[in-house]
Amino acid sequence: MTLPARITLRTVTSLLVISLLAFAVISAMPSDPVAIAIRAWNLPSDGATVAGLRAQWELDRPFIERYGSWLARFVRGDWGISFRTGEPVLAEFLQRLPLTMTMALSGLALAPLLAVPLGFFAALRPSGLIDRATRGLAVFIQAVPSIWLGLILLYVLGVQLRWIRPFTRDWTGLILPVALIALHSLAVLTRVYRRDLLEVTRQPFFRTALAKGLTRSAALWRHGHAHALYAMISAFRAEASWAVGSTAALEVLFGLPGIGQFLVESIAARDYPVLQAYVMVVAAWLLVLNAGVALCLGWLGPRPA
Amino acid sequence: MKTMLRALRTSAVLLASVAGFATVAHAADPLRVGASFIASGLDPTKGSNGWALASHGIGENLFSVDKDGVLVPELAASAERVDKLTWRVRLKPGRQFSDGAPVSAEAVSAGLAHTTANNKAALATGGKLAFQAEDPLTIKVTTERPVPLIQALFAEWPLIVYGLKADGSAVFSGPYAVQSFKPDAEIELVANPHFDGAEKRSPITYRKFGDAQALTLALEAGELDLAFGLPAESIARLKKDPDLAIKSFPVGYQYLAYLNTRKPALTDARVRRAIDLAIDRSQLATAINGGLPATGAYAPYFPFAGKETRPTDAAKAAALLDAAGWTTGVDGKRSKEGAPLELTVLAYPQRPDLVAMLPVVKAQLAPLGIAVETKIVENANDVAASGDYDVFLWAQHTAPSGDPAFFLNSTFRTGAGLNFTGYSSPDFDAILDGFATESDPAKRADIAAHAQQKLFEDAPVSFLLSPVWHVGLSKALSGYEPWGSDYHVLRADIGEAN
Repeated sequence: MTLPARITLRTVTSLLVISLLAFAVISAMPSDPVAIAIRAWNLPSDGATVAGLRAQWELDRPFIERYGSWLARFVRGDWGISFRTGEPVLAEFLQRLPLTMTMALSGLALAPLLAVPLGFFAALRPSGLIDRATRGLAVFIQAVPSIWLGLILLYVLGVQLRWIRPFTRDWTGLILPVALIALHSLAVLTRVYRRDLLEVTRQPFFRTALAKGLTRSAALWRHGHAHALYAMISAFRAEASWAVGSTAALEVLFGLPGIGQFLVESIAARDYPVLQAYVMVVAAWLLVLNAGVALCLGWLGPRPA
Repeated sequence: MKTMLRALRTSAVLLASVAGFATVAHAADPLRVGASFIASGLDPTKGSNGWALASHGIGENLFSVDKDGVLVPELAASAERVDKLTWRVRLKPGRQFSDGAPVSAEAVSAGLAHTTANNKAALATGGKLAFQAEDPLTIKVTTERPVPLIQALFAEWPLIVYGLKADGSAVFSGPYAVQSFKPDAEIELVANPHFDGAEKRSPITYRKFGDAQALTLALEAGELDLAFGLPAESIARLKKDPDLAIKSFPVGYQYLAYLNTRKPALTDARVRRAIDLAIDRSQLATAINGGLPATGAYAPYFPFAGKETRPTDAAKAAALLDAAGWTTGVDGKRSKEGAPLELTVLAYPQRPDLVAMLPVVKAQLAPLGIAVETKIVENANDVAASGDYDVFLWAQHTAPSGDPAFFLNSTFRTGAGLNFTGYSSPDFDAILDGFATESDPAKRADIAAHAQQKLFEDAPVSFLLSPVWHVGLSKALSGYEPWGSDYHVLRADIGEAN
């Protein structure tokens, strides 16, 4: 079986397992969505209303039957109706997903673009200005919650300097959230890339390259870059997971109507179709990224010694 | 190395383009309004959408309260009593919904009947309601319970007026119509072309902010023309900004703490009274930089409000806990039969003042030996409805129709739609029954006082503060005048500078 075929098979199997587990966990959440809806919407709490809602939301059917029905509809593009808003979940996700994906992907794409040169120059002169600056940045970014940093950047860049308009609805409103995601990933990826470059400098072949007359920077690039890229791509996988979680917080902070914000509002209402759809989208996102990383590593070939 | 240089160049170009676009000037936009709340949908029967849709200037009621809290006709022209359970309501002529359909007795009756069939909160005052169109502008209303002041009933937020369209959606009559709606995020509003003065009304983008600091920063960054409900701690700073106008105003809202009577630790009224007595309301007022200690269920400017501030007495609170069997251990914590006295106290970010009060409440209960875990939850209504809390800090307009009955009936009557505390008292319900037959305002105030006294004794709620709220305005809306609540944030006249 070819690598892409293996990856596809693994991805589909994983999605099926995740969907079943998620369906079970969400169904087992404490508090009945019907009871919540009746109280939150001030519906008459008579038997007919309860039975009507349970039937409408298919909560009166056995678990396996519900799961099977949900799965069959899900793969056909019918993701159900939100218990909370009464709107089709797929339509809501299609409207919101581009924003979330733009945020997450832009941040994730920007990070390695900057991490490679920064990590390279940090490794070129260990304990030099760039090395110390990236180390400081890494510690700061890891220690500070993105929400807090977001508020600070909002105040400085949006209020004091007026360089950006952080709450506009055009793409400029995404600059800060994207920058926050990119900064976090940049800090991690830069350090990972630098660490593996430095590891190369301790290898005999690196010393041979220098002895042959290559400059340190040329030797680092020729013999260390591919090696360090491996580690960075692996770290990128973890960053992609982090980005999914952080988009929800940033969407709430910046008032962006993405799927993370929708999720936050849907949890307390036990909005099963929305929660299930979110899990599936995030799972698909992570699996596709994992597959992409695996393909990238495969394309790069065996890791240099 | 070439690859690296290419990457560097690409990065530089990307950053430069981002920085360049960030400073692009924008054409004139609609008025931009920000607040911590937004309608959860456009179905007026669901939850508190009736309130939110009226607050957004989308819907209207038959009667409403004006800027001074006085009950006035809105879509109705008058109401007269026919007999004990029957009223006749006359509509104003010439009013239209935003699709151009007339606001007729038939349409209004169908909409209100739909609401009463689907929203229990609409039944709080009059019980089941029946509507019959007698002619194009006259509705005969029959109530299950006698209603001495039908105008107040029709000013209650669940009874927003709308026309039911063939597809089951609703069309409203307020000064603004919905152009687009993104749940939990944003509503684009345009002037309702069938509402007087439409040509003078700018479109509005109404946005929800999940974080009060973000709302403040959006105003400071020039991204909002109206920021409703600014956090108190930001007011001093904002007042120094020459481009902004900050207006503070007393509101009909009360800050209160629901005490969940279904929770084991709180089933005993002595424990609930102890919590009520332990709270020092002046410290809460300090924490939110404004407001007055509550005298009871109503803001002090209402004629039926209490006159005396709720007491604080830590010694009496401790004695009540002792009497209830919650004794203090060597560690200073109270327990009963091995179970510690631990409470989860919630607040929600849409009311930042409540969040600011959380640590104060925790600190005030600690000396009594009560351990408190504080939590902030997003969907306050859903969480309160689920009953998964011990104490819930809450903001509630307690006299939205200018009358004391609705709040007590809808929130504390046994089984009422908004009874989140699980409180059930036949004696209390009997007191409330008095509202059904008494129309004299002074005597209704007496009933309200009697009902509050019963609430003080049974303590399913602790009334905390009568707050002051703040709005921030850009020059485009510097003429905006806030009314005493968030029931009418957007109205026919919002003081546009043009």
